[in-house]
Amino acid sequence: MTAYTAYARKVFLGRSAYRFDHLMSILSTILQFFIFYEIYRALYGGEEQVDGITMSMVTTNFVLSLGLGTIFSPDDYFLPNKIWDGSISTELLRPVSFKGRMIAENVGNSAFNLIFKFIPVITVALLTTGMSAPADIPCFLLFLLSALLGAGVMFTISFAVQMTAFWLVNIWSLTTIKNVLVNVLSGSMIPLWFMPEWMQGVLNFTPFASIYFTPVQIYLGQLSYGEIAVKCAIQLVWIILIYLIGDLLWKKGQRKLVVQGG
Amino acid sequence: MSYIEVKNISKTFRVSKRRSGIPGMLANLVVPKYEKREAVKNISFSIGQGEMVGFIGPNGAGKSTTIKMLSGILFPDSGEITCSGVIPYKQRKNYVGRIGVVFGQKSQLQWDLPVIDSFELLKAIYRIPDDVYKKNLGRFTEMLDMSGFINQPVRQLSLGQRMRSDIAAALLHSPETVFFDEPTIGVDVVGKEAIRSFIRELNAQDNMTMIFTTHDMQDIEKTCNRVIIIDKGSKVYDGALSDIREHYGSSRSLDVEFMTDTETAPIAGVETENIDARHKRFIFGKDVHINDLMSLLLQNYSVRDINISEPDIESIIRKIYSGEGAA
Amino acid sequence: MKDTLHLMAVYTKTTAKAWFQYRVDAVLRSLAVFLREATGIIVIWFTLLKFDTLKGWDIYEMLFLFSLLFLTYGIMIIFFTGLRDFGKTVRDGSFDRFILRPRGLLFQIIFVNSDWFAAIGHGGLGLVLFLLSAGKVGIQWDLFNALYYILTVAGGVLIQGAVFLFLAALNIYLLQTESLKEMLYWNMRKFAGYPISIFNKFIQIIMIYVMPFAFVNYFPAQFLLRKSDMAEYPELYLYLTPIIGIVMYLAAYCFWRFSIRFYKSSGN
Repeated sequence: MTAYTAYARKVFLGRSAYRFDHLMSILSTILQFFIFYEIYRALYGGEEQVDGITMSMVTTNFVLSLGLGTIFSPDDYFLPNKIWDGSISTELLRPVSFKGRMIAENVGNSAFNLIFKFIPVITVALLTTGMSAPADIPCFLLFLLSALLGAGVMFTISFAVQMTAFWLVNIWSLTTIKNVLVNVLSGSMIPLWFMPEWMQGVLNFTPFASIYFTPVQIYLGQLSYGEIAVKCAIQLVWIILIYLIGDLLWKKGQRKLVVQGG
Repeated sequence: MSYIEVKNISKTFRVSKRRSGIPGMLANLVVPKYEKREAVKNISFSIGQGEMVGFIGPNGAGKSTTIKMLSGILFPDSGEITCSGVIPYKQRKNYVGRIGVVFGQKSQLQWDLPVIDSFELLKAIYRIPDDVYKKNLGRFTEMLDMSGFINQPVRQLSLGQRMRSDIAAALLHSPETVFFDEPTIGVDVVGKEAIRSFIRELNAQDNMTMIFTTHDMQDIEKTCNRVIIIDKGSKVYDGALSDIREHYGSSRSLDVEFMTDTETAPIAGVETENIDARHKRFIFGKDVHINDLMSLLLQNYSVRDINISEPDIESIIRKIYSGEGAA
Repeated sequence: MKDTLHLMAVYTKTTAKAWFQYRVDAVLRSLAVFLREATGIIVIWFTLLKFDTLKGWDIYEMLFLFSLLFLTYGIMIIFFTGLRDFGKTVRDGSFDRFILRPRGLLFQIIFVNSDWFAAIGHGGLGLVLFLLSAGKVGIQWDLFNALYYILTVAGGVLIQGAVFLFLAALNIYLLQTESLKEMLYWNMRKFAGYPISIFNKFIQIIMIYVMPFAFVNYFPAQFLLRKSDMAEYPELYLYLTPIIGIVMYLAAYCFWRFSIRFYKSSGN
């Protein structure tokens, strides 16, 4: 276990090297939030609510999605970089599980982001905008659970996409397309309430709404306990399903690596 | 006749100081700490055309900084460098067309493409005439035995193959001076030998001036006729490799194996080291004659075996770094 | 000149060849760029299905506003990829290698790695948006307007190029400027897709006077569309884009020339 803690710690500490850079990335997230905020203020044009969706619900959606987004930031090139530069063969010989190390480094990174990015961003958002409070305490606790599952969905998607690097080596394009899908379909750039009906139907068959939108709905108290149970179960199913796909690719990929010698 | 002339160059960097641990990290985020590091202090030397000179010194001694100033990458804070009448960092384009640089740790080849594609690109960059390019390519391919992998992507090459390709790449435009920064790092023994003999041959044939930095003393011993030792930013030695032993008046040693466990009485001018109960090492300077010592030992003790060793250059240099060498 | 063109051709050939070592990625690359850049547009399209207009701008006018942003970027990135990625070039030691080659530094930075895929992705998106919207927003495409359009596109290219050049020069002092670029350029660019009048005064000031994206697309679009929110700004601003482009580029170029002598190699 200590090896993994060491990896997580290394990443956590490593992040502090670029101070200025980090400060800028906090500001960058806050600005991104204000863009959405201003656009929706203009769209609402002083109206209380549109189709039953209030401005404060929209604000909450953006704050939570972008806030959680700062924590859910997997290193999409962890494996691809090692395949590209050939270091994967030596990495696999180490007496630590490569997948375990991937998780550990992501945890270290997320922990850093939670403390030094999420907290400042959320604080600013709370002080400057009319974000809703959580519906009640059980909702808030369930929100935390659901957010954790959302992170799981985000990381397993990244994991599975990275595995294609065994065949494609350079997966910039695939990763970019993945990120477009995540951004548009998870509700972090447009609240899913405003999507056309048919689109919302389609989204039910994708894992993306599980990332941010489910936690946001729970936070706002829009779901009954029964619905929460179903949505969280769906999140869990996505995690397992995507992980299994990724793991299959991982096993096949390693075999390919052995055959071709990197 | 001096070809490269270096006068009193100095270079100072400002480096940010990292504090360790989580509290240290927090401190770094809030108040960064900087300190000045004098990488090179007042170094002077001159090098003649066709010389092969090795720069050695411990990590962080200032070798790389010196090489970077000589090759025109860095400006010295003070002092002057001229190389065949040109100031490297002022007349960059003119100068760099006449030098070649090999960084052992940083390839200049296109990672994703076959070696030959990088060569073609360099041909265009350096405006190498067709005939020169063909001649050099043919010659290096043969001398460095590259024909087997010249059409393979660089990312699939072994370190030795990559290094050979990198050396060829740096020489395609027939430079007058070549800088080798760690040219054999990570390469296996056979590969190292191939690289060294290529360098020697090239120097003999083309009278190229060659400057090395390396950690491998074998590189220096087998190629250079002169070494410059740099430590903590200053030049501490400049001369022939063979003169180092003499210059630092160093000691020789005699390893003796006795028939039985033996205690020896102290001998004047000789230091005794116990290797184990039957083995001893006697270390002595120039003032002790080896004949006297041997006969003394053979007369007084029953000796099974004797072995004389000259100190190897590496251990002398280690001593020079640690400040013990000053004779 | 012939020699320079030859080298440019060899660089481009090498870059393209390197990309096509990974066929799937190369094929998807322009599409990926296209989609990534279209994200904001997809979002505004969905949003305007619900809300109809954004401060009086309908969907086609919005697309026209966006098209200027992408066209200028698509052209710019042919020449400025290397400056965009300059921080990495410095950190991994490649810049040392540029210094060691008998060619202009700026020339090498620009041509070693032109991002043609991004150019096609962005430029293509700009073109698609332009074709979708140009006929539906009531612009008279006479000679004068066409000339105005060409000059402002050129100005927009220079404004953005100047920012990349300036940030690349700054990289010589600070090893990491990615986040500054993220903030000053990329984030401001996200605002630039929308009529700046919807934002608060502070952001408007930044968009006009600090990182003048307003002159890349908002004011040029206003010249051609004359939406009511133009009343908030001086008329003069409609004509400044080419001048600002030239001035900013010259200033950035001087700063670059001045800074390059302070370059310190990152060591090993």
